[in-house]
Amino acid sequence: MIAATFALLLSLPLLVWVAAMFDRIGAGRGRVVMAPLQNGAALLLRPNTETEAPDQLNRLLAPGWYLALALVGLSVVPFAPGVVASDIATGLVLWGACEALTVVVVFLHGWSPNSPLPLIGAYRYVAIGLPAMLLSMFVLIGAALPAQSLSVAEVVEAQRDLWNVVRQPLGLPLFMALGLAITLRGPFDFAEGAELAGGASAEESGPALAAWRFARAAMLVAFSAMAATAFLGGYLGPVLPGPAWLLLKTLAVMAAAVAAGRFFARMPPARMLTFLWVVLLPLSFANLALVGVEALP
Amino acid sequence: MIDALFLTLSALAIWSGWRVFRVDSMVRASFLLMVSFIAVGLIAVLLAAPYIGIATIFMMAVEMMVMALFMVMFMMNPAGLNPMVMVHQHRFAVVAGIVAFAGLTAAALLSDLPSRPVPESAEVVRALGHELLGPSMLIFETAGVTLLATMIGAVVLSARSGRYGDSDAGSVPPGLTPGGEPAGRKPDDGRGRPHHHGGQ
Repeated sequence: MIAATFALLLSLPLLVWVAAMFDRIGAGRGRVVMAPLQNGAALLLRPNTETEAPDQLNRLLAPGWYLALALVGLSVVPFAPGVVASDIATGLVLWGACEALTVVVVFLHGWSPNSPLPLIGAYRYVAIGLPAMLLSMFVLIGAALPAQSLSVAEVVEAQRDLWNVVRQPLGLPLFMALGLAITLRGPFDFAEGAELAGGASAEESGPALAAWRFARAAMLVAFSAMAATAFLGGYLGPVLPGPAWLLLKTLAVMAAAVAAGRFFARMPPARMLTFLWVVLLPLSFANLALVGVEALP
Repeated sequence: MIDALFLTLSALAIWSGWRVFRVDSMVRASFLLMVSFIAVGLIAVLLAAPYIGIATIFMMAVEMMVMALFMVMFMMNPAGLNPMVMVHQHRFAVVAGIVAFAGLTAAALLSDLPSRPVPESAEVVRALGHELLGPSMLIFETAGVTLLATMIGAVVLSARSGRYGDSDAGSVPPGLTPGGEPAGRKPDDGRGRPHHHGGQ
């Protein structure tokens, strides 16, 4: 348990760096490998922006909470049989709590500067983030059903014969929607869109912005590891050791999330809201019904 | 260790619960209440109820987020970052608070609480599931359907579109004094709408 925690803390910065590299491939945002470090260092040297009458405490803490939620979410992912940082029987529920609190943290991040554009971004994000999170819970219940357990380790073991991505093909694509929403990217980036001049982060600069971007990339790592575990068999795989398989699958999901963020256009918030409630949520119910019928003895 | 955690979390729950009534903004009040509930949820985890504890955190995060949003949408003074007074009915609230505190304290101190430590191997989540979908199913399903009906009703009532047209058609702002003239700009044509909004 302690070894797993250390492994997690040591590997997270490297994976965040990789996530930042993925974001820069083919985007024309500087040299792929070194640019994340250079940009991060440059941000650390710049001053933070002051706004009029902000909520100082929440403004200061929001990036820290975001990072903490990514870490707690990542901690339920087992690296190998029996090797997991937080070994609790309700790991999937804990991950769900992290998702829900992420919506709160992004809202506070946009609300606390007391400035119009971040506030609009925050409200828009809540309207879209809550149904996206709701949908992911039904999808995760689907992943838990074959294992008959809410423990993430059991969910992995239940995929020894057949990965969930094959057994319940709707699961992973629907879960990706949640991933895009909690990492504020692409079609679900209603918080920090360019049309709001950065939205929830419009007033941020300097170390605060660097911390927020780091936390956002860490959340992408946590989401990718969770998706790889719940749907792609986690550490299961031939020849290579378990952690290596988990790493490869995590990187694959991460690349897919970055690509999906670039490929799909963002709809107007009202249309996206309708799409979420009328199309994606019923699809997640259909997925759950399918899994339930399959799991019947 | 567990005692220290319990005392810390209890103190956090009480402190943030008290702060709910001392801050001057709906958003701050909602999230302080959320912190209070999170502390209570973690205490439930300490009490070997992992599902109930973590589900409390999960539900409260969503609930308080929705509450903050609806407060800002529907209140006359949303008090995002603008100050407002958060307490009403002072005397009644003080009496109700004291009575509730005394009652709950008496119940906790006077009742004979069972002492049955949960064995390490007990499958508490499974047992809870069997209880919810077994003997207690009727209670929980009734509560669930009632809540769902309430939510649908709230959405229908607050929606702008309605059977007889948009809900804000022909509405006038409330008066500045009780029963006084509507606030805001005076309509020019006497039909309750300024000219530049007309054309229907």
